[in-house]
Amino acid sequence: MSSHEEHGHILPEAEYKAGVKDVGKWIIILGVVTVVEVLFAIAWMEWFKLPKRPLNIILIFMSLFKAVSIMAVFMHVKHEKKGFILTIAIPFLFLIWAIIAFLWEGNCWRHYQELINYF
Amino acid sequence: MATATAHNDESTTLWNGGGSPFKVSYGKIMIWYFLINDTFTFASFLLAYGAIRYTNLDIWPKSSEVFSSVPIPFAGIDKLEHLPLVFVSIMTFILIFSSWTMVRAVQEGHQMNKYGVIKWLIPTIMGGLAFLSCQYLEWSHLIEEGMSLTYCPFGKLGNGDPVSFGALFFLITGFHGLHVLFGVILNSWLCYETANGTFQKRGHYEMVEKIGLFWHFVDLVWVYVFLCFYLL
Repeated sequence: MSSHEEHGHILPEAEYKAGVKDVGKWIIILGVVTVVEVLFAIAWMEWFKLPKRPLNIILIFMSLFKAVSIMAVFMHVKHEKKGFILTIAIPFLFLIWAIIAFLWEGNCWRHYQELINYF
Repeated sequence: MATATAHNDESTTLWNGGGSPFKVSYGKIMIWYFLINDTFTFASFLLAYGAIRYTNLDIWPKSSEVFSSVPIPFAGIDKLEHLPLVFVSIMTFILIFSSWTMVRAVQEGHQMNKYGVIKWLIPTIMGGLAFLSCQYLEWSHLIEEGMSLTYCPFGKLGNGDPVSFGALFFLITGFHGLHVLFGVILNSWLCYETANGTFQKRGHYEMVEKIGLFWHFVDLVWVYVFLCFYLL
């Protein structure tokens, strides 16, 4: 499992079975997380009618968990070299600032619009 | 480990230094860099969505009202109304399921099991087609309700504002759907080539891994499209 550069190298039966089992476990986890997400969203909004912001934070973290587990297990990142993981992960750090900046910007546009409508 | 490759003529010159960076083959590294590139394209779309949504925060339509029905044809009644998020959850499950079958195909590829690869690629292709069909049903339902690139019937004012909602929805889910379509085409080609024995002759099934990475990426993007449009 350490290197997949070796083509034509067949994994031993036990390792293959462990891999199949691991992936099977994760597909169930992903399915459960999706169900919980949807039930949570519906229950929060439709049944209890609670404020949306805390729900959004919970949902964002659940989606992040889903994204990381898809990358780690299905896209095989957790078995790659550490340097390669960093090469993939570091560009995503830019997005953190981008999200903050653009939401900030959108908020600012809204205030401008209110200002224009006022006059 | 690089010296142990089955490519005898390449083993000494692999990337010309006797090995590959990160011990990952050239093709796989490049598909990863393409995916990072594509991530930023999708991210810019979703950031635009976020910024525009924040600008129109007070009149933005509620997702549970927009996506409130299950538009299945021939379901006895015309449409199953007041079931928010149910249809899109079905779509999500289809994609996650086909992502799983793709991993299984990759694993069978590692075992050099030609029929295993074909066996798991077929449900992957079916999943992709099912997803596209669901997207067709959803789009046609929304268009029927009056949503277009320049008009949104669900806003709080009822005068077509915010106009950008339809454009953002159709273009972002459409761009994702285009990726799914490419994925289905690539997977079909992969299935055909596997059946032909191309990869068996080549001695490795790396192409399954590379197209698999693209397919998982499509699933990954859907997680975020699902979050931004349907959940938040």
